[in-house]
Amino acid sequence: MTPTFGVPAVSVLAEPRATWRDHLAGLLMCVVYVAVLLATANDLAMARDESFYVDAAQSYAGWFEQLGSDRAAAMTPEAITRGWSYNHEHPALMKALFAFSWMAQQKWHVFPNDSLAFRFPGMVTAGLLLWLVYVFGVRTFGRAAGAFAAASLALMPRVFYHAHLDCFDVPIVFFLTLVTYCYWRSLTLSRFRWFWVLATGVTYGLALATKHNAWLLPGVLVIHWVWAALGEVRARRRGGVREVSLVPWWLLAILTLGPLVFYASWPWIWHETLPRLREYAAFHLHHDYYNMEYFGRNYFWPPFPVSYPFVMTAFTVPVTTLVLALGALLRRTRAFLPASLAERALPQFLHATGVIRADRRATDVLFLGALLQPMLVIALPSTPIFGGTKHWFAAYPFLALFAGVGFVYVTRGFRQLVGQRIPSPRVVVRALAALVLLAPSLAETAHSHPFALSHYGMLAGGVPGAATLGMNRQFWGFTTGSLVPWFKQQMPEGGTVWLCDTTWGAWRMLQRDGLLPENIRAAGDLAHADYALVHHEKHFAEVDFQIWVAFGTSTPATVLTYDGVPIVTVYENPAHARRRLARRVR
Amino acid sequence: MTQASTSPSVPAAAPRPDGARQSLRARLASARHLWLLVPLLALIEVASLAVRVSRVAPHSDWRAAATFVRAQQRPGDLITSAPAWTDPVLRLVLGDRVTLAQTGRSDTDAFTRMWALSVRGERPHDAPPRDPDFEQAFGRVRVLRWDLGASPVRFDLVEHVREAEVVRVEGDRELPCPWRVGSAEGGGVGAGTETPAARFICDPRRPWLWVAPVVNEDLSLEARYCVYQHPPGAEPVRVTYHDVSLGTRLVLYGGVYATHERMGENGPIDVAVKVDGIVVGTMTHRDLDGWKRMEAATAERPGTRGDVSIEVTAVNPNLRTFCWAARTEDGPRRPRSAP
Repeated sequence: MTPTFGVPAVSVLAEPRATWRDHLAGLLMCVVYVAVLLATANDLAMARDESFYVDAAQSYAGWFEQLGSDRAAAMTPEAITRGWSYNHEHPALMKALFAFSWMAQQKWHVFPNDSLAFRFPGMVTAGLLLWLVYVFGVRTFGRAAGAFAAASLALMPRVFYHAHLDCFDVPIVFFLTLVTYCYWRSLTLSRFRWFWVLATGVTYGLALATKHNAWLLPGVLVIHWVWAALGEVRARRRGGVREVSLVPWWLLAILTLGPLVFYASWPWIWHETLPRLREYAAFHLHHDYYNMEYFGRNYFWPPFPVSYPFVMTAFTVPVTTLVLALGALLRRTRAFLPASLAERALPQFLHATGVIRADRRATDVLFLGALLQPMLVIALPSTPIFGGTKHWFAAYPFLALFAGVGFVYVTRGFRQLVGQRIPSPRVVVRALAALVLLAPSLAETAHSHPFALSHYGMLAGGVPGAATLGMNRQFWGFTTGSLVPWFKQQMPEGGTVWLCDTTWGAWRMLQRDGLLPENIRAAGDLAHADYALVHHEKHFAEVDFQIWVAFGTSTPATVLTYDGVPIVTVYENPAHARRRLARRVR
Repeated sequence: MTQASTSPSVPAAAPRPDGARQSLRARLASARHLWLLVPLLALIEVASLAVRVSRVAPHSDWRAAATFVRAQQRPGDLITSAPAWTDPVLRLVLGDRVTLAQTGRSDTDAFTRMWALSVRGERPHDAPPRDPDFEQAFGRVRVLRWDLGASPVRFDLVEHVREAEVVRVEGDRELPCPWRVGSAEGGGVGAGTETPAARFICDPRRPWLWVAPVVNEDLSLEARYCVYQHPPGAEPVRVTYHDVSLGTRLVLYGGVYATHERMGENGPIDVAVKVDGIVVGTMTHRDLDGWKRMEAATAERPGTRGDVSIEVTAVNPNLRTFCWAARTEDGPRRPRSAP
């Protein structure tokens, strides 16, 4: 074996192994990340969608309890409809896990508060995702690349935020990456291949049961498989040994096991299966259009800007990570082409350092496909854009893996530079390079908390730069949580608050968690609330104006800012102010 | 070349170049050192975050600037801020001096001076295209002032709407719309213009048929301080101002609540401006027109006074949440600033 940047050169048949030490390291990353998420979660009030999934989880928990006590009654269509109808526009897997976690909380008080109980399963998938990315990296580009990839993914500001939530956006990234990994493992003619074929089908079912993003993954895998199979055929014709299966058993598993797992995971479709599946599909195929500000324009109807996912990625992912990934993509151009074309179009001498060639599984092509597909789907002018960057998060593990490759190239450059002039150059250079190259990710992520959906990086000019450019400042109304201390100070005797984009469920969770007194209540009537707040999103401007008219003043009581940029403005009803001042006089 | 393995790799050694390709090879070999620039980029990125954070204007700077402007402000002064997203912070420190007419202005004609609290070197979008006449820094907040000259505005119809007579026309009848003080209603995204507590109520059976000064969200989602006057149908609601100083022209802006205009699917709205019962100007507002301007000449009667009426009609009044701002003007026109 020839060492290549500390990466074992692969032989023809063997693939780099992930040892038990690697899995231990992956587990450690997982545990540390979940611990950090748990420690920082209380800084984040629940987002809109989280509160809906809390309601769903509680409903499902009720059904599970019924199942435990009276199985026959629980399995009736009426009981299933009652228990599972809420939020049936999304499949059940993660909400069921939220429910189990909540049930454990009720029974054993595992978590310090209720919101953590609901959020914990999502956090675990975030931790598992790091483990998976690390192992994927180890098996493809080596240990250093895998470790850097996992760390850079963990430290993408918006990924860090979403990793806290009882939502599906990070879990689906975990399951999609896991399916991709199982598929990739299933391609080789190894003795474990049948395990990986079955695993591909099962994990695809879990992905289907998590979120509808899973619908599109088989398309990428099929394209990749055709590509790899053609390469395999060419290689065999040239006398190469058989390495990659030419029978797509994995697809058979996806088409059989996938739907079975999906069906089994979702009691809602156990009855009236076809109509309910049709309703589920229709919801997502004809999804409502929401508002999204982009370069000063409020988009609410197609066509949406094609550049959106690419610009938003450039503005929100640390630039160093992006440059490492783009550098690696450029550097590995030959690996994206069929061997004969690569030889003609990009002679090796253009690649000054080392031989880069596609492997028999065309892993680079797979990674590139998995990276581009989620972004291209959002780039379609007809695709609704409303979730900031989270809707193409599935691209980020592969972006991070390419960044890991870039990290290896950087460390190699430095090692060549320092030679043997320092002791243990490999270790020292890697450690220093990791420290320097991850510093922006760490700094930006730390600075983004708890305003990650308002956070923009260097290319946007930061938060103020993005505000000047007219980029979306937030969504989901969770930033209300940052005002809790202020409300407690202003309303020692309680009162009412009109919440703008914050749901009543999210507000209630602040009270359940003991962060907000029970006597500070949500109000449904803006004009008669003691306080009214506006989350600064462009299309919420009308709420500002409504409050000015209702309260007869445009002077805020306070403005919550992040890097000087207004995030939430709170107004006090003059009637309340008069009562408050009168009390003070008394 | 054959594909070699089941996993990709990151190769270490460079192939030996051919002689003919050596110079290119050498240049490209040096290009590999570009990777060494990435750590430099990382350090720049960290430094840029530190710089961004350090450039944020502290609240004390805003307060200091506000104290200065408050002391300098004269009647007819406009107070604004730049960039536009700082507006809530401006209102936090100077809200008592920033009126709805200032925030929801259609242009700057009503004002004699413009004060701007500015950060990041920005200037208001409607500031004159020249250097300010005054500039002073208060930490990271700069106070800028432009002297705009005498205002051409003689009578602002929005400011005086409470003094107007409002009627709903039904055939030959004119049904008065009495001024009532009740309770504000509405609120929330998509709920549209807030119904103010005090308003002219034109038809209790049609709760949307009222007239009052409000702040409306126009098509560009900007604030417009204006008179809400929803057309009842082909017959108008009429707002009449008696004995108005006319000047040489009447300028009117009008638009519809953004959500009711942005799909471009609703019918036109007709506005008629009358002086002493004679039509001096009309405007047809169609969806997607946005905040639209019209000008009616009143020069035949310069220096005189008269009754000014604004009539709004729509054949199909569905979702015609129309709002207008108007004034009479005299003297030379100011250069129009960017909207």
